[in-house]
Amino acid sequence: MSFWNKKLTFLAVFAAVLLLLAFGLVLFYAPVEQNMGIVQKVFYFHVSAAWLGMLAFFVAAVCAGLFLNKADLKADAVAASAVEIGLLFTAIANFTGMLWARPVWNTWWTWDPRLTTMTIMAFTYVAYFLLRRGIDDPTKKARFGAIYLLVGFASVPLTFFSARLLRTIHPTIFGGGMGEMAMTPRMVQTMGFSIFAFTVLFVLLLITRSRLRLLAASLREQERRDDQEEFGEVTHA
Amino acid sequence: MRRWLDTLKTLIWKDLLQEWRGKEILTSMLAFAILSVFIFNYALELDPRQRAELAPGILWVVIMFSGTLGLNRSFSAEQDQGSFDALLLALPSPASLWLAKQITNFLIMLLMMAILLPVYSLLYNQNLFIPGLIAVLIAGAWAFGAAGTLLAGMTVQTRARDLLLPLLLFPVLMPVNMAVVKAGSGFITAAPLDTFQVWIAALVVYGIVMTTISLLVFEYVILE
Repeated sequence: MSFWNKKLTFLAVFAAVLLLLAFGLVLFYAPVEQNMGIVQKVFYFHVSAAWLGMLAFFVAAVCAGLFLNKADLKADAVAASAVEIGLLFTAIANFTGMLWARPVWNTWWTWDPRLTTMTIMAFTYVAYFLLRRGIDDPTKKARFGAIYLLVGFASVPLTFFSARLLRTIHPTIFGGGMGEMAMTPRMVQTMGFSIFAFTVLFVLLLITRSRLRLLAASLREQERRDDQEEFGEVTHA
Repeated sequence: MRRWLDTLKTLIWKDLLQEWRGKEILTSMLAFAILSVFIFNYALELDPRQRAELAPGILWVVIMFSGTLGLNRSFSAEQDQGSFDALLLALPSPASLWLAKQITNFLIMLLMMAILLPVYSLLYNQNLFIPGLIAVLIAGAWAFGAAGTLLAGMTVQTRARDLLLPLLLFPVLMPVNMAVVKAGSGFITAAPLDTFQVWIAALVVYGIVMTTISLLVFEYVILE
């Protein structure tokens, strides 16, 4: 399997163009919000990053289920890569959220359901990698990782709904209620476009990272075989 | 079904007997729990007015931390003596091993709580014998184990072992923490039931979801 091909080049260029366009829309097309001012513009990339964090978690859980069913290490490579990318974008969402929250809420952090849930989700991601790191056998590593992803996937929505039972000050973009943020059509279009651009970027990152993972695994396997030919059976402690 | 129940009984009996002879887990858990209660007293400077409201939170943190000590030991005999394979051969299904371990852990936690609660009541001169509160703590202990026993079965097979379990377990226990503390303080402050019954529902849902997942995937934990 070669790492790069024409389709990926196309996807990479496409993602780059989309991201530049999204950036342009945020800067020049979307209006400045009346009450919050210029800082509100971080919102477009904040929501997109948070969306990827959740999408990644979902993709990882689906791949975890696939792995337990089929024991295909490809599914594990995709799951682990999704978690990696998800962790990055969750961090971006938290960071951009803080930049916005300081002037608007007058605090860097609040115990809001979405903030709490995203951060707990990030802790689950980190724990997932710590678990994998503690296991040598690749199949067992993948199996235990998949089990943990399923447990995490079941608990994250429950964390969200539990935290939501407590009061919230986070603006609700969809679904109304208190603290709803009124968006003009231009704002909606900009947000939709940047979510799309980020999703394409996610697909690109997921494919390349998974391929890299599989290549690294096959390289290790090859090295192990070479060692075996040279020195006889190698036992791993 | 009959055979399945017999196996389950035998497995639980084996673990309880082992614990009875060694008394290793329960004594460590208890000593840790009571020490923590003392630490909390000085760390939070508990004055009588705040005590009532803080009690469920303190109790739950103490129960959860000392419960983690117990979970870390629950598979160590099987792992150290390599008897997972033998157990798998003897059992009708891998899920029964999980259920046996979960019930054993649950019983040990109940025993620990049966001593911790009177001690806490005595030390703080606060009546904790509120049936609702006790029921919430018992449901919390089951939910805790439902996620914890599965994860302990995995971490015992890793290099980091004891170090890893709390890191894996605590993020996924978030809903249990919130539900136990909210429902518990509802009962302690004698608030109207409809102001906190949703937390009881959340606790039950979590317990059912995690028990189901554990029963379904435990076979992959002990697969070789």
